[in-house]
Amino acid sequence: MWARRGGRAPIICRPKRHFVINDVRWCALALLLVLGLSSGAFLLPQTWLHYLALINLLLLVQGRYLGGRLKGLLVIFTSQLAITSLLYLLLHGVERLPEGITAVCRILMAMIPGWWLSIACSPQRIGEVLSHCLPHKWTFVLAACFGILPYLGQETREIYQMQVMRGANIRLKSLWRPRHWHELIYCVLYPLLIQLLKLSKQMATAARLRQFGRHPKPTHWPF
Amino acid sequence: MNNKGFNLHDALFIGFCATLLVALKGMLRLKLGLSGHSMFLMSFFYLICYGAVGKNGAISLCGLLAGMMAMTLGIGKGGPLLLLKFGLPAIAMDICLLLLPSLLALKWRCIILALVATIAWASKGLIEGLLVGLSAQVVALQFAKSLLFGSLFALLAAMLVPPVLERLRSHDLIDREEI
Amino acid sequence: MALVRLSQIHFNFQTAAQPLFEDLNLTIAPGECHLIHGYTGCGKSTLLKLLLGILERPWEGEREIAEGATLGVVMQDPNVQLLRQTLGAEVAFALENLGVASNEMLLQVRSALRRVGLYISLDTPIASLSLGQRYRLMIAAQLVLEPDLLLLDEPWAQLDDQGVAELSAVLNQLKQQGVALLIVEHHRGVFKDLVTHRWQLSQGKLHGVAPAQAEASPSQECWRESPAWPQGEAVIDSHGFTLAFHERQKLFDAESLLLFPGEIAALVGDNGCGKSTLLKSLAGIQADIDPLGIKVFGKKPKLGRFGADLALLHQRPSRQLFENTVIEEIQFSLRRFGLPLEWAIELLGQLGLTTLARHSPHTLSYGQQHLIALASLACFRPKLLLLDDPFAGLDEHFTSKIVALLLELSRQGTAIVVASHRPIAELPIDRLWRVADARLECFGMATACEKQAYSRVG
Repeated sequence: MWARRGGRAPIICRPKRHFVINDVRWCALALLLVLGLSSGAFLLPQTWLHYLALINLLLLVQGRYLGGRLKGLLVIFTSQLAITSLLYLLLHGVERLPEGITAVCRILMAMIPGWWLSIACSPQRIGEVLSHCLPHKWTFVLAACFGILPYLGQETREIYQMQVMRGANIRLKSLWRPRHWHELIYCVLYPLLIQLLKLSKQMATAARLRQFGRHPKPTHWPF
Repeated sequence: MNNKGFNLHDALFIGFCATLLVALKGMLRLKLGLSGHSMFLMSFFYLICYGAVGKNGAISLCGLLAGMMAMTLGIGKGGPLLLLKFGLPAIAMDICLLLLPSLLALKWRCIILALVATIAWASKGLIEGLLVGLSAQVVALQFAKSLLFGSLFALLAAMLVPPVLERLRSHDLIDREEI
Repeated sequence: MALVRLSQIHFNFQTAAQPLFEDLNLTIAPGECHLIHGYTGCGKSTLLKLLLGILERPWEGEREIAEGATLGVVMQDPNVQLLRQTLGAEVAFALENLGVASNEMLLQVRSALRRVGLYISLDTPIASLSLGQRYRLMIAAQLVLEPDLLLLDEPWAQLDDQGVAELSAVLNQLKQQGVALLIVEHHRGVFKDLVTHRWQLSQGKLHGVAPAQAEASPSQECWRESPAWPQGEAVIDSHGFTLAFHERQKLFDAESLLLFPGEIAALVGDNGCGKSTLLKSLAGIQADIDPLGIKVFGKKPKLGRFGADLALLHQRPSRQLFENTVIEEIQFSLRRFGLPLEWAIELLGQLGLTTLARHSPHTLSYGQQHLIALASLACFRPKLLLLDDPFAGLDEHFTSKIVALLLELSRQGTAIVVASHRPIAELPIDRLWRVADARLECFGMATACEKQAYSRVG
């Protein structure tokens, strides 16, 4: 169910990525580890933070080695740091600044494990782990969602292009003015919603005609 | 609003709304560096789910599915915390719906739900801030900022949803009398 | 012994003045192949839904299915029926839902794929299959349920000639194995060797059609008798290019491409040969291709660069409809480009659609939506109009309306490129751009005639 879809890559999946965790059990473990590390960043006492920082550093190095980009993390970290430092300077003076910096580092350490997970684990395996926690119908829905992601990206792009060519004021520079958002909703999101309504109906019918929901304990294709 | 289970059509529509929400979030990230802009997309799609499916729990399911997809695809860099980011506002909306009188005009229902979602979203930041050890004043200021900007975007989305739902209904694309 | 029997079926949509089915009867026995013709919107797809028992609105009459008989269906667009990502998983989907043990699936899946002639790896991603292969895959996904009757919704419109030939061979084999077939198709003269019963669905009933009445000439290009001679600057100008996606196999090579105002060019080639990619490149919206060096209006194409001078009609153009009424839909671009709104009313009159002006575009038939989408582009009278498969799924009535509209635009000086997977016999053209064997060849009337004569002598 979670086999990689061929053809053009989904718009938000990064190209040329090598996932080191391709086994479901390891992936489940990685998910638990990430959950633990992220929670640790919020809950661990100050004295344990060095160890957590070391583990996060290792994750950063491995993530970078596997081709992950640090730009997103850096942008969030620097913007958070700037805002928090400014607030601390204004409200508490320079003596309490280290407290603010530590807090921002904790926020960063809550994010690094999630960043590493998206680089080390293949989306298919994460989906497979999640599907074990869901009822059969919702497993099917989640798989269908991943399946239509490339289609949805292409559909969004094509409808957007169609409407720009029809003269709609929805090009990026126009969207800086919120009065044009109305046009974006009606020209692009509204036709997309119509497509989604139709597609969900058609897929539900197709699945029902192929006996979906008939057996109380459906089996699984073994490959 | 009824409480019968979700048929496959409903379930797929909820899932596809979550997919579109995550896909658009992925496309727009970094392009709009405005604080709280994610509340626009979240409020819009959650309210569309509420209007088009019309069953209790539709919004929560959309939020949880969006969280799972974002976590799986690595959008937002929060890992499992993304489940909370997408799920919390959605669950808050569903709880609010249990208390909200259904006689209230759809526009006002959407506005109240959007504001409740923003409070839940900003509260998540507030709790995180307190947990990481930020001072109460700083946390309160950041909470106020999130609430202000988040509410603006969420309100904008809430105002756009009723006409969209009305249009879908008048074109025979959804069949919900109460809308 | 009948497999399926429909007796005295009455059905009408709430809004329709005339009933869609009125005293409709149909009996299908094992091994028979029924072909139902009918105009766009006459109820062919509704009839399939009724047979499958999934028609949501109430109807009257009797629908009898032989005990234990199973029905399978391949819808108009097989892509919406594909629910998995790999070949094996797609075919096994129905088996999973029946609770068939995992170790028993492999044999059944392989057998079904063999019956449709798909001898490729079970791990093959569906996205890498051609449309013809996907169609056969969909049939295999039905065959694991051992259907007694297989229903096919307009396969000819979707598939190119090779796809139709492959499908015909598979259907012939299934028919010999005793599977009954019902194909709805507006195009006449297809699946000739297969059909045992032909019907015309009109005025709510099925009328028998003699094979001779159903004959249709094969699709061949039609040259314009008084061609538009090159006038003014070339609208499309290229001295040769290679169309290829970044870091992937090329689609085709082309020597040169020229189009002048008022000319109509037909871009013809099999599914997946790169027609849509070329059209999008001409409009400047194809992102992941190597630079082509084609000039449109003397400039490099880019989204939004040409404003009202260039229009592109995508496949399934009804996707672009969003306004409350037909007239607002057509006037949308006129408002944005600051052009006279009366042009929309004029165009609706020309197309005979004035009565629909205040209707919601979403409540119209497939053919009407298609026409409205085209009209919403034609109304601003672009200098270059690119059309991607504009006749897909349309009957003669709508085809002739579109042809008339295109000829009128051409007379006004619009250069037109029409992409399709087979030549459109009804549309007179000035240039033929044919893609075959990874080459795009350009013909004018003279060169095409020369080539035909040469091949006849040869």
